[in-house]
Amino acid sequence: MNPPEVPAVIFVGQPNSGKSTLFNSIAGHKAETSNFPGTSIKHTHSRVNIGGRLLDVVDLPGTYSLCTSDPAEQVVLTHLFSERPDLIVNVIDASTLSRGLELTLELVELGYPMVVALNMMDVAERKGIQVDPAKIERLLGAPVVATIAAHGRGVKELLERAFDVLDKGQSLRSPRFSDDVEEKVAEVERLLPPGFPIVSNPRFTAIKLIETAGHACGDFLGEVEPGLRATVDGVRRAIEERRGAPAYEVISAERHHQAMKLAEETSRVLHGKRMTWDKKVDAVLMHPVLGYLILAAVFLAFFFIIFKVGNPLETLLIGPFNSLKAALAARLGSGLLFSLAEGLIQGVGGGVAIVLPYFLPLLFLMAVLEDLGYLARAGFLLDAFMHRIGLHGKSVSPFILGFGCNVPAIVSTRILESQRDRVLTSILIPFIPCSARTTIVLALVAFYLGPLWAMGFYAVNILIVAVVGWVISRFLKEPSPGLILEIPSLKAPRISSVLRKTWLQVYSFVRFAWPILIAGSLVLSLLNYFRADRWINDVLAPLIVKGLGLPHDLGVTLVFGFLRKELSLIMMLQALGVDYQNLMTVITREQIVVFTVFISFFIPCLSTFVILWKEIGKKWAFVSAGMSIAVALALSWVVRLVL
Amino acid sequence: MTLLDAPHGTPLRIVDLAGGESVRRRLMAMGFHKDDVVELDGKAIFRGPLLVRNCTSDTTIALGRGVAQKVLVEPVHEPS
Repeated sequence: MNPPEVPAVIFVGQPNSGKSTLFNSIAGHKAETSNFPGTSIKHTHSRVNIGGRLLDVVDLPGTYSLCTSDPAEQVVLTHLFSERPDLIVNVIDASTLSRGLELTLELVELGYPMVVALNMMDVAERKGIQVDPAKIERLLGAPVVATIAAHGRGVKELLERAFDVLDKGQSLRSPRFSDDVEEKVAEVERLLPPGFPIVSNPRFTAIKLIETAGHACGDFLGEVEPGLRATVDGVRRAIEERRGAPAYEVISAERHHQAMKLAEETSRVLHGKRMTWDKKVDAVLMHPVLGYLILAAVFLAFFFIIFKVGNPLETLLIGPFNSLKAALAARLGSGLLFSLAEGLIQGVGGGVAIVLPYFLPLLFLMAVLEDLGYLARAGFLLDAFMHRIGLHGKSVSPFILGFGCNVPAIVSTRILESQRDRVLTSILIPFIPCSARTTIVLALVAFYLGPLWAMGFYAVNILIVAVVGWVISRFLKEPSPGLILEIPSLKAPRISSVLRKTWLQVYSFVRFAWPILIAGSLVLSLLNYFRADRWINDVLAPLIVKGLGLPHDLGVTLVFGFLRKELSLIMMLQALGVDYQNLMTVITREQIVVFTVFISFFIPCLSTFVILWKEIGKKWAFVSAGMSIAVALALSWVVRLVL
Repeated sequence: MTLLDAPHGTPLRIVDLAGGESVRRRLMAMGFHKDDVVELDGKAIFRGPLLVRNCTSDTTIALGRGVAQKVLVEPVHEPS
């Protein structure tokens, strides 16, 4: 067999095995890594050149097993079964060896060429676990390489062994199940009709038929013929009668015991050297009282840091833009040219000096929390509260991600098992103040009214999420299946990974948001120059002036707010024709609060709307938009009454 | 007894996983099977979840009370 032109190599591993980190160190800097179960939800492709040889590498979401109903994990099955890869890189967390091996054994059954990366050897060592890769290699027949992906250790050897397998092939040794089970598997294997869509080999296909029929991953095996279906059903009943447990459980338990035996034979636990410090840290982080205090402190610190970093940066950066504008005003007079120049400066200056100072620290801190593994712990702590709004702790991570940007947060709801939970969580996420809205809140409310006002804004905002969640969950009665969430071991965030993640998001902000910001600002300048903005303002006047009590000129900003929220802020200054520092001369404190509240809630931004449509359907996207408008109106009205 | 009534910090053997197929499959995929030895590491307040550690693989999961109720355990007498 000739090796294919560019071999496809896929990375398969359980969540938190360090798979994405390893992938990153091979594929450059494309996939995002983090320490929360199921964060790489979309798969990442990359073509790499290693020592003159090309490889197509694909990072897939983490999966616990090859029988799964979790939509994020099903991506893995589709890839494995329908796009036959040339090589699998199976990544195992050496510190939780026996569980990792369960997936490995399933992959050995699958029988594609494979190399195993025994990752996180340093964590295992700290735990006092000594693993012998060579021995696992002898028992499985696949190369096993010890790696520490975070430090790039072992990566070179892993690649060498991978090329070896690609060139020479390999023969895997799949351990047998107990005789009675193996006999039944063979029975199904024998009766597979000719032309049946075999995945990889007949034994694997037979095992999966027994294990999964009637279950999601059976779909990949095609419509089962009636004759075969009867055989499979008969075999399942026979296993169940003999073992007193459903067939899927028997096979899963067989593999579980194989894995435990394999782990026992190939690793030693040196007692007395167990990693106690991080157990102690965890005991505090998830303590019934201290845990919540720390959680509250983390969030307070989070916003204070962003404000403390962003505020002086903003003042520092905005100066030059203002003097530039003044200089231009003196030279260009008040013609069309100056209008355009002013629009350009407002757009660029807004992006650089107002948005970035808050955006940057927020993304950085978010990445730190993610990599640390704190999101799963927050999920544990907040589970009880989430039950009040009809959800559970697994939705906490998408919510927290929503503080960064709603769009990836909505995509990450795929980690939730039930459709109902996904819909409810996705609908609530647009109410979470994303970084763009945080920018507005910090730049307007915190800057002009003080940080305590901003805090109050957040408290009210979270209350609104809770109330809306409570209301919607009255309509979605179906019970939620309950929390099953892995708590990964704490990891010291690596600065390179955090910076990379921050950079990725800033890059996409600069690339996608800046052009819109600048174009929007220019368009507004032109509208202004030709006095066309009056028309829009007149149309919106009943809402803006009568409804909200805001200056007539602010009507156009709403239109731009639908494109991107932070645009409203810059447009606001542009529309009112003042500098950021002189804002208070044309608008009152009350109006600032009303404006912020209304802009924050009145509609999900365009990208959020689109992703809602894509992920949970048109109906819910419109429900979400409708609710946003209702909440924004009601809340602005309340604010006017109170202030 | 169920995990809910089990004592903290002592080894427990899983006697049975009750509950629906999807919950059982999920637990098994995460490495929690009948006959495994686990330890209860903590409980959140306000009827929050339980922290359960598998002693063999040293993995920890958080289980909501509804799920924990379906996990039947018995104490293990440690070999002295």
